[in-house]
Amino acid sequence: MVRYVAQRVGQSILAIFLTVSTVFVLVRLAPGDPAAAYASPLATTAELDRIRAQFGLDKPLIQQYGIFVQDLFHGNLGTSFSFQASALDVVLSRMPYTIMLAVSAILFAAVVAIPAGVWMARHADTARELGANVAMIAGQSMPEFWSGIMLLTVFAVLVPVLPASGFTSWAGLVLPTVTVGILQIALISRLVRREMGAGFAAPYLTIARSRGIPERGLTWRYAMGNSAVPVVTALGTRFAAMLNGVVVVEVVFAWPGVGSLVVRALETRDYPLIQATVLVTAVLTVLVQLLIDLTYPLLDPRVRLGKAVAS
Amino acid sequence: MTLSPLAACAGPGSAPGVGAGSGAAAGSGITLALNRSLVSLDNKLNQFDAAVTVQRGVRQALTFIDPKLTVQHVLAERFELTAPTEWTVKLRDGVRYSDGSPVTVEDVATALRMYQKVPGSFLAGLFPEWPTVTPVDAATFKLVTKHPVPTLDYLMANILITPAAANKPEELQGGVGSGPYVVTAANRGTGEYTLQVNDKYWGPAPAIKTVQVRFLPEEANRVVALRSGEVDVIDAISPDAISQLSGLGDVEVQQVPSTRITQLFYNFRKPAGHPLADPRVREALSYAINGPALIKDVFADSVSPARGVVADTLTGAVQTGEYVYDPQKAKQMLDAAGVKDLKIKIIWETGEFANDTSVMEAVVEMLKAVGVQAELQQFQPGGDISKWRQGRGGDWDVLGNGYPGPTGLALTPLQGMFAGTKEKEATRDTYQGYVFPKIAALLEKASQETDKAVRESVLATAQKEIWNTWPCMWAFVPKTVIARRKRVENVLLSPTNSYELASVRLNG
Repeated sequence: MVRYVAQRVGQSILAIFLTVSTVFVLVRLAPGDPAAAYASPLATTAELDRIRAQFGLDKPLIQQYGIFVQDLFHGNLGTSFSFQASALDVVLSRMPYTIMLAVSAILFAAVVAIPAGVWMARHADTARELGANVAMIAGQSMPEFWSGIMLLTVFAVLVPVLPASGFTSWAGLVLPTVTVGILQIALISRLVRREMGAGFAAPYLTIARSRGIPERGLTWRYAMGNSAVPVVTALGTRFAAMLNGVVVVEVVFAWPGVGSLVVRALETRDYPLIQATVLVTAVLTVLVQLLIDLTYPLLDPRVRLGKAVAS
Repeated sequence: MTLSPLAACAGPGSAPGVGAGSGAAAGSGITLALNRSLVSLDNKLNQFDAAVTVQRGVRQALTFIDPKLTVQHVLAERFELTAPTEWTVKLRDGVRYSDGSPVTVEDVATALRMYQKVPGSFLAGLFPEWPTVTPVDAATFKLVTKHPVPTLDYLMANILITPAAANKPEELQGGVGSGPYVVTAANRGTGEYTLQVNDKYWGPAPAIKTVQVRFLPEEANRVVALRSGEVDVIDAISPDAISQLSGLGDVEVQQVPSTRITQLFYNFRKPAGHPLADPRVREALSYAINGPALIKDVFADSVSPARGVVADTLTGAVQTGEYVYDPQKAKQMLDAAGVKDLKIKIIWETGEFANDTSVMEAVVEMLKAVGVQAELQQFQPGGDISKWRQGRGGDWDVLGNGYPGPTGLALTPLQGMFAGTKEKEATRDTYQGYVFPKIAALLEKASQETDKAVRESVLATAQKEIWNTWPCMWAFVPKTVIARRKRVENVLLSPTNSYELASVRLNG
């Protein structure tokens, strides 16, 4: 177990390092000039040169990279050009909002999608399941910007019962959560339905049923127990993806998370801010993935971390 | 990304309601929604229009440009030109910061030093020369320059004064000011600030006790938030949103002509012999543009036609002519100049002005009607347009660009755009290659003329000379627009797109 975790941590550090290095190079290959984006439009060539020197952008790329790596190992991700503050601090000031939205959305999705998937599996091949499937496919097909705008129109404009933008109260979390959740519910409920369908058809369930175990126990203890690993994997993967910023939803609802921050950082060619955002979200993603892996033995005793599944 | 469908939903037909859960706009406070993130309450690097309103609520300058674009004294009780290169300033008795400490001469001297040290500062470009401070007594000092700077009282309105010990050569993220408000909560990451009345304010106490500042980058969010009552005042409103908001019972749209001019500016780096190097061709193309139609149909009357080379709201601006739509004349002049099958490239940065793409597409059709083929190239914000403007990215013919007038003086944009010299052009620091030595000399003379009547006469001559060079295919003056809920009153909107927070009141 300890060896497995150490191995995974090592792999994760390497993956994060490669990710931030790739981003370091790619943002510098993109068109645009951070000095011009930072300075007044009336800045002279000499002033722009001074700004490039101030930001270290006048140095060869390899030298810039060397400085970046050195600073990275000292926990210094540089000063955001546009905020004139520690890039890491700026990202961390936005991160709670993204985490809040991601947690809220994934909980909402899990609470709705798992029972819905179970219900669909229990009513497999009926008209009711077909109807539910149509609803889920519709949810999966709706772009988030469209569903967000529709929800805003209804609940913030036509019947103004919820805030339209930002996070000024807990009610402000409702519409972004539902918008993100719609797609997740559609995806996860169909996965649950598939896994549970296979579970209900498995021989061990027939045997359990013949022993007189009630249906509720069969569903939630036996069938769900065996479906838990793929469902938790799916929920974890979707959650990790949300931590990278739910860009569209953040823009629609003016949500102050890292998604909208990174859009701004890209527009202003704020290299340190882009790199800090990538690093923080990559670390969180890797951590979430690691936590998911660590839950497998708890969910399925046959799983031994770092080894093949016991038969 | 645009959310215009949502904005469209917020039409005049549906009744606005009170935003659930907000409550920010209720009581004795107001909430402002800005379109750009307020990174700090200092302005050393950035001076975004609407941000100035909030910055000046906390920090003040020696002077202030009022909505009539005249100078008012704030921290200065006296600000007087006492010699061609010397202004005498006396600090107002009893002016204090929010911590109770007095505003001192040293604070002014330090502020000037700090502003100079910020590379790429928007404000630095406004000062032809930085003055030095020579103290006379505890409250009086002289601002001394090498050459006459007769507009220093206007320029100093941009220098916000902070205690010397806390001032730094960068935008200050904290610290005290002498304004009517103090910052009680700030999250620059999200652009949200809370201002409360400064109990030690030296002037009349403001009527609004609390001001919340929010950052809502998308116009649709601002419109919906205003309609639902989540916010009280929004800025940066497009013509489409103006028409939606204008029909609402409890929302008022406020517009004044701005100090900004937006131009389709020619590239003056064309070699001799190129059609656009000929002023007759530049003039001819201007007759192809149906300005009235663009103003009415695309801008919904949210802009005014330019009648000179800078916004005519500015002090010292004169009307030099008008852009006339006469496609027949355009064709005749092009034929007379021997120009056939002219092809031009028009470039601009996305969002440089409202409805930019629609305007440019209409211009292409208007030019086609006179036999000119125009190609459009649009740059994303933060992209390479600055390189192109300097002629380092590629060739182009017309640039869609706005030029501000933050000092309220015509001289500032005139110098910025039209005072190009060969020396500046060597480093590509002229405005699109515009180099006319005679005009540069006139502007230089005006900038140092201490006699106001003579200065304005020279400036008028310069503007007429500039107009005759036909620098633009078309130009317009956008209006400064805010929308506010009617419970918010006495918003004295200035052409420079800001207002004094201390003057704002709530009815009822």
